[in-house]
Amino acid sequence: MLLFRSEEHVETWCWARSLRVGGTLSLDQASELAWIWFRDRLEPSWKRKTLEEAESIFGSLGLTGNFWKLRP
Amino acid sequence: MQPGTELSNEVRLHVMRQVIETGRVPKVDETANALGQPSEDVRRAHRQLAEAHVFVLEPGSFELRMASPFSAIPTPFEVAIGERKWWGNCIWDAMGIAAVLKAEARISTKCPDCGHPLSLTVNGPAVSGDPGIVHFAVPAARWWDDIIYT
Repeated sequence: MLLFRSEEHVETWCWARSLRVGGTLSLDQASELAWIWFRDRLEPSWKRKTLEEAESIFGSLGLTGNFWKLRP
Repeated sequence: MQPGTELSNEVRLHVMRQVIETGRVPKVDETANALGQPSEDVRRAHRQLAEAHVFVLEPGSFELRMASPFSAIPTPFEVAIGERKWWGNCIWDAMGIAAVLKAEARISTKCPDCGHPLSLTVNGPAVSGDPGIVHFAVPAARWWDDIIYT
């Protein structure tokens, strides 16, 4: 997961590597995702999020569609 | 509770607290000494945490490459809080370090396409600084096929 200056830079970088453009997040989406994902990491009772919890988080941030599906 | 789960959680918390305090991910023997446990048991805990996709091992080793969101090795994602610095494994993890520490953090990286320096300030879910966009090259269902590449 890399940070680019703009979508144009994503496209140029992917083109140079013969990659299709993958999934993109705005900075606000990425920051919200990181906050939700990691804020409880130091709690002794922390457990890895279940697939259902992760899907719910992705959905709440608008990360829907095939690219963001967590199940193979 | 599965056998070893309690020690795995103890190891997980110790590693996280150590990297926060020292800026460095501890080695197996260091954790074993600190917790008063045999190194073999800490290696087993590392393996269990890696199998659970909590930590990532160095290839061919029981030492840690990633104690997410922290990286055990320097990366292009430097995170600073005051004078203290850590490395994230990716931009998501770099933002995650701010979330773990619940403090305003400055993230320094470069655009992978052109090398232009990019700087963000993250505080809770709020972000400010240079404009930018986060790109995931690998579909979500395949992130753990090769998490180091991802």
